Amino acid sequence: MALLEIENFSFSYPRSEQPALREINLKVEKGEFIGITGPTGAGKSTLTYCLNGIIPHFLGGSYQGRISLGGTSIFDLSPAQISRLVGSVFQDPEAQLISPEVEQEVAFGPENLGLPPAEIGKRIGKALELAGIPGLRNRPTANLSGGEKQRVAIAAALAMLPEILVLDEPTSELDPLGTDEIFKVLDILNKEHGMTIIMVEQKTEQLAAYASRILVFNEGRIALEGEPRQVFVRRRELEEIGVRIPQVARLAGLLGRYEGCALPLTVEEGHLYLESILRG
Amino acid sequence: MQRKAQIKVDKLTYHYGTGPPVLKDISFEIEKGECIALIGQNGAGKTTLAKHFNGLHRPSSGKVYIDGTDTASMKVSELARKVGFVFQNPDHQIFHDTVAREVAFGLKNLRLSPREIEERTAAALEAVGLAEHRQTYPFNLSKGQRQRVALASVLAMRTEIIVLDEPTTGQDFRESVQIMEIVRKLNENGHTIIFITHDMSLVARYARRVLVLCRGEILADGDVRSVFAAPEILKKTYLRPPQITNLAQRLGRHSIPPGVLGVRELYELLVKMRREKIGCCN
Amino acid sequence: MAAVTEYISRNSPIHRLNPLTKMIWALSILGMGLLFNDYRYLLALLASVLLVAAAAGVLRSLLPAAAGLTVLALVLLLVQALFYGQGQVLFYLVPISNRLAVTGPGLLSGLAMAARMMALVLSFLIFLATTRTRDIVLTLVEKLRVPYDYAFMFTTALRFIPAFLSEVRQISEAQQARAYAVEGWNPVKKIKAYAPVAVPLVLLSLNKADQLAMAMETRGYGGGRRTCLRESKMGTADYALSAFLVLLLAGSAAARLAGYGLM
Repeated sequence: MALLEIENFSFSYPRSEQPALREINLKVEKGEFIGITGPTGAGKSTLTYCLNGIIPHFLGGSYQGRISLGGTSIFDLSPAQISRLVGSVFQDPEAQLISPEVEQEVAFGPENLGLPPAEIGKRIGKALELAGIPGLRNRPTANLSGGEKQRVAIAAALAMLPEILVLDEPTSELDPLGTDEIFKVLDILNKEHGMTIIMVEQKTEQLAAYASRILVFNEGRIALEGEPRQVFVRRRELEEIGVRIPQVARLAGLLGRYEGCALPLTVEEGHLYLESILRG
Repeated sequence: MQRKAQIKVDKLTYHYGTGPPVLKDISFEIEKGECIALIGQNGAGKTTLAKHFNGLHRPSSGKVYIDGTDTASMKVSELARKVGFVFQNPDHQIFHDTVAREVAFGLKNLRLSPREIEERTAAALEAVGLAEHRQTYPFNLSKGQRQRVALASVLAMRTEIIVLDEPTTGQDFRESVQIMEIVRKLNENGHTIIFITHDMSLVARYARRVLVLCRGEILADGDVRSVFAAPEILKKTYLRPPQITNLAQRLGRHSIPPGVLGVRELYELLVKMRREKIGCCN
Repeated sequence: MAAVTEYISRNSPIHRLNPLTKMIWALSILGMGLLFNDYRYLLALLASVLLVAAAAGVLRSLLPAAAGLTVLALVLLLVQALFYGQGQVLFYLVPISNRLAVTGPGLLSGLAMAARMMALVLSFLIFLATTRTRDIVLTLVEKLRVPYDYAFMFTTALRFIPAFLSEVRQISEAQQARAYAVEGWNPVKKIKAYAPVAVPLVLLSLNKADQLAMAMETRGYGGGRRTCLRESKMGTADYALSAFLVLLLAGSAAARLAGYGLM
C-alpha cells in the first residue's frame, strides 16, 4: 500500500468559481522525493495545505474525493494528529519561526504533543543534526541567515518524527548558497534516512537533480508526471505551461541525438553527453 | 573627451549606527543607458548600496553623485525625480483601492497636472501589460501582477535611472521573464537599469555589466561574459555562473570559450564545430 | 530603538537569576517608586536601577533607550515645574512678561517625576534584556499559573516589536522613493499622511499573523496537554533576594506611613 494516496481529489476555496484542484490522482511510496512545479495559481500550495491539515482546519472550502495517509483519511484526523504525520515547511523564513531561540523553536512541536522533557531533548538533538545545524542549538533565530532559518524550520518539522515532509517553495527567498544548503539537507534526508519528501519548487535545475519524480501542475491539474527525464523531455508542453527547463536539457533538446542515452539534466550529465557527441 | 558618469560612487563606506561597515570603500561609475546586474549573497551589501542611489542611505564617508550632483545635498523626494526604485516586495508599497490610483501616487507627489498624471498612468499600465486592470483592487491580483503594479508606479515617474531590488523573487518563470522583458524595453528606451538578483540565468540574458559584491566590497566588475568566464572568482562568494556557462567551461579542450551565456549560443558553437569537423574529414 | 525589548546575551549574576526574582525586583521598584515622592529618594532609586544594569553588563546597550527616556523626562520635568504653581519663583520662561513661572518646589517635583518614570521604565527594560523569552514564558506558566496561550501571546507580541519597526521602515522607504514627503503642519493632512504607511503595514501584519498561525497549527498547537522542555528553578540566591526585596518593600511602606520620603 502506498504511504500517501490521493484519489479523484478536487477542492474549491470559498467564494471561488474555479476549483483550485481538479481530480488529482497520486500515489506516493515511502522514500520518494516528489518535486512539484508549475505556474502561480496552478494549485501547488493548495495541495500542500490539503496534506498538512491547513485545509480544512484553517482555511475552509469544499472538496470531493479522498486523501489517505497510511490508510487513514486525512480529513478524519485532528490538526494535532496530522502534525505527527506531516511535517511542514513554508516559504517565508521569518514568518514561520514561532520562537526567538532555536532550541525553543524545535521544542515547540514536541511540547505540544505533551512528550516528556527528556524525550523532547533527544528529539531536538537528532532533528538539528539531520538538518545539519547542531551548532545552532543555543542561538537566537533573529540573526541567522535565510538558509539557516529554513533549516531550523526543517528541524522543527523533523522533531515531530513525521512520515512525510511537505515543503512549499522553501528556497524562494534564499540566495544561491541558502538554496544549496536546503537541497543538500533534503537529499541526505531522502537518500540516507529514507524520508519521504514532497517539495513545491520553481528552481527546476535543482529539482531535476534531486527529485525522484516530478509533477507539473497547471490549472489545478497534474499536467505532466514522471521521472525528471521523462518530464523535462517534453519541451513544447513545458514551454506552453510556463515551466523553466534546465538549460542542459534544453541544449540536448536542440541537438537531439540523446536517443541512445537518457536526457542529460545536470552539468555532469551534459558534459558526458556532449563529449560523446563531439567524439562521434 | 571625457564623458561624465551618470552615477559616480566615490570611496563609499557605510555602516548602520555604530555597527561594522556594510560597504567598504567602494568606487565605481555608471554611465547613462547601462544595464547592470548587482549580484552577491544576502548580506553582501547589494540593497544597502542601491539605497544610496536614491538617498535612502547616506554615505558614512565618501560620496555618491547623480548627474554630477552630490546626493548629500538632495532630499529623497528630489532624488525620486532622477532615480526610481522598485522594492522587492510590492506589498510594502501598495495601499490604494485601484491599480490606477496606486500608479498615480508618485505622480501626484511630483505635483503633475491631472492630464499628465492620466496620460502617464495609462502609458505605464500599458507598458506592464495591466491596462485592463486599471480599476481592479490591487489585492485581487496575483503577486506577480502586483509586482508589475509596483513597477508601473515607478516607471510612470519617468526617471532616467531605475533600480530594481530582486524584481523576480517569489515569481514563477513566466512572470519573471515578463518583468525582465519590460526591464529590457525600458533599457532600450534609454533608461539606465540596475537590478539586484540571485538568478544567474537572468543576469546572463538581460544584463550587460555585472557588479559582484562580497562582504561590502566589489569582488568583480565587468561585462557579464568576462565575469562569468572566471568562475573561480564567483566561487569566492558562493555564486555559480548559469548551468550552460558551467557546461561550456568543461568543454574547454574542444576550444569552446569560457564565457558562453545562453543555450542557443552554445548550440550554435557546437553545430558550427561539427560542421567544420565534418568538413575536414571529408 | 529596535533592540529595546530584546534579550542581550551576557553571563552576569543578574542573567542567572530566575525570572520570577527579577519580576519581583521590577515590581518592588514600581512599588517604591509610587510610595515616595521626594526627589532624593527617587534619584537614589534610579541610581540603584542603573547599578543593576551595570552589574548585568547591559548599561551600554540600554543607553539609546535611556537617551530617549531622558528627553521624555525633561519634558515631564518642565511641565511639572511650570504647572506646580506653588513656592518661590526662581525665574520666568518668558522673562519680560513674567509668564510661565518656574518655582523651586515645582522644579524638584518635576525632578522627582522624571526620576520615577525613568526608574520604572528602565527596570522593566533591564528585566527584558537579562531574561530569555523562553524563561519568561516558563515562569509565567509554571510559577504564576498564567495559561500558556496568554504567556505565548505576550512574548510573541514583544518579539514582534522589532519586526514591526523594520516593516515600518521598509514601507516608509518605499513611499519616499516615490517622492512622498510629509510636509506642513495641518493636523488633518498629517493624519491622512499616515495612510501610505499604515495601510500596507496592517495588511502585511495580518498576513504575517496568518502565516504564524499556520506554522503553529502544523506543529500541533492547541492539541491538548503541553509539556515543557525546561523547568523554571529557583536557587538559594533567588529565594534570599526575593525575601530581601519583599522586606525592603514592606519597610518602605512603613517608612512612608511614618512620613518619610514625602515632600
